[in-house]
Amino acid sequence: MAITYELVKTVTAQLYDRSLRGIPEDTKAALQRADATESNETARHTLRIMLRSADAARTSSQFICSDAGVPVFFVRVGTQAQFSGNVRQAIADGFDELVATIQPPLLPHVTNPLTLERGYKGRGMPIVTFDLVDGADNVDITCSPKALGSGRWAALEIFSFPDLATIEKFVLETVIRAGSQPCPPVVIGVGIGGSFDYAAKLAKEATLRPVGEAHAEPIVADMERRLLAAVNKTGFGPMGTGGDSTAMAVHVNYAAGHGFTPVAVCFNCWINRRTRARIYNDGRVETVE
Amino acid sequence: MKFPLSAADARELRAGDQVVIDGEIVMTAGLPTIQRLVRCLDGVEPLPLALHGVSLFHLGSFSRETDGRFEVLYLNPTTSTRFNAHMPRLIRELGWHAVGGKGGLDRQCVEAMREAGCVYLSFLGGGATLHSQAIRRVVEVGWSDMLVHYRLVRLAVEGLGPVTVGIDAHGRSLYAEEQLAARERLPEILRELGAERSK
Repeated sequence: MAITYELVKTVTAQLYDRSLRGIPEDTKAALQRADATESNETARHTLRIMLRSADAARTSSQFICSDAGVPVFFVRVGTQAQFSGNVRQAIADGFDELVATIQPPLLPHVTNPLTLERGYKGRGMPIVTFDLVDGADNVDITCSPKALGSGRWAALEIFSFPDLATIEKFVLETVIRAGSQPCPPVVIGVGIGGSFDYAAKLAKEATLRPVGEAHAEPIVADMERRLLAAVNKTGFGPMGTGGDSTAMAVHVNYAAGHGFTPVAVCFNCWINRRTRARIYNDGRVETVE
Repeated sequence: MKFPLSAADARELRAGDQVVIDGEIVMTAGLPTIQRLVRCLDGVEPLPLALHGVSLFHLGSFSRETDGRFEVLYLNPTTSTRFNAHMPRLIRELGWHAVGGKGGLDRQCVEAMREAGCVYLSFLGGGATLHSQAIRRVVEVGWSDMLVHYRLVRLAVEGLGPVTVGIDAHGRSLYAEEQLAARERLPEILRELGAERSK
């Protein structure tokens, strides 16, 4: 038995489609918690409309945002997984077929960065990252489409032997620079260490963690808790018109590196689009979220 | 409130107020569209629609033409700060009394809005389903030669919102106030962050 081209194509297209028509359950719960603690009346009202919007999108199977972003997939390949077709091609073809058939249709957001021409196709699109999972007999795929609203405020800076205060200050400065723009309350991903490219990957993966799930190491979990409290003192609030709910979570990942320490910070907007499924060698598909 | 807003309507509103939109609005999500409108003011080409005094919002929408009739399937706000450079002139010369989208506009825009009697309305990002339920009729579409979300669409709506007044016609911008407040608070926030760390 093997994981077929057809199955990868269908499952990835479905993951993208489903990610557009609602928000993850953990995100909904986080918005409800924010509503319970928010002190600004307009902000509370906005949080409630967000929850209504999420429910309306799910119930009516409509898009929650007009900007479907660009297709981004994180593919974790089990070393025991068997494939009977091309995986990268299956994902690209799945997106093409989705573009041709999805209702309502998608807006053309895939942008050539050199000419600014837009359409549904482009070099390196869909964006797919591969990782290995030792021993697993499945492929584990997460879809998290990315759009301009939150995408453009990510930042990375490289420090030399920074202390925690320096790292945390950079996170706060990045949050203030983003301000009202990334459709708060946001999920913030922070990647510390490794190398230039790896820190960005760590930050991105941190945004995919279930909202509010603390890092396993106490020093990191403590940093996440303190940073979340600090971000929510900035006052930008829901949709940036003021309030205590600027972030739902700050997730930090780190890796050892040399004495130069990249720190990457990125944002997911409040709809926090994320769907995930596993495909097993026997053809079984498990919807994780 | 009935749209398009007049200058008097706009001046009655205060930053932080929430309103619901009924009536006619014009929308586009395209930077090329906004740039092309500026070229219209320069006399390069005529305006595609009557745009004086309209309420112009930075909303992305999917419109399509079926049997000669346009329909809009969904709409949602886009980032307004992308249009900062062009909005002051458009607001002043076309007499717009309500603009909006998400994320606000800069200080030059706030000044133009104060002069013209114009408010900025913040729409819920990620509100496409709710916003789209307010669509009543596509009145007209300009520049159909452009990408679907770049077109200018005049739309009749009922119950669109609520939207929040992010910038009022009296020069008060919630966005500017929050940026300033956050920067002023930063040293104290960092001090508290550090104090907690050392425990």
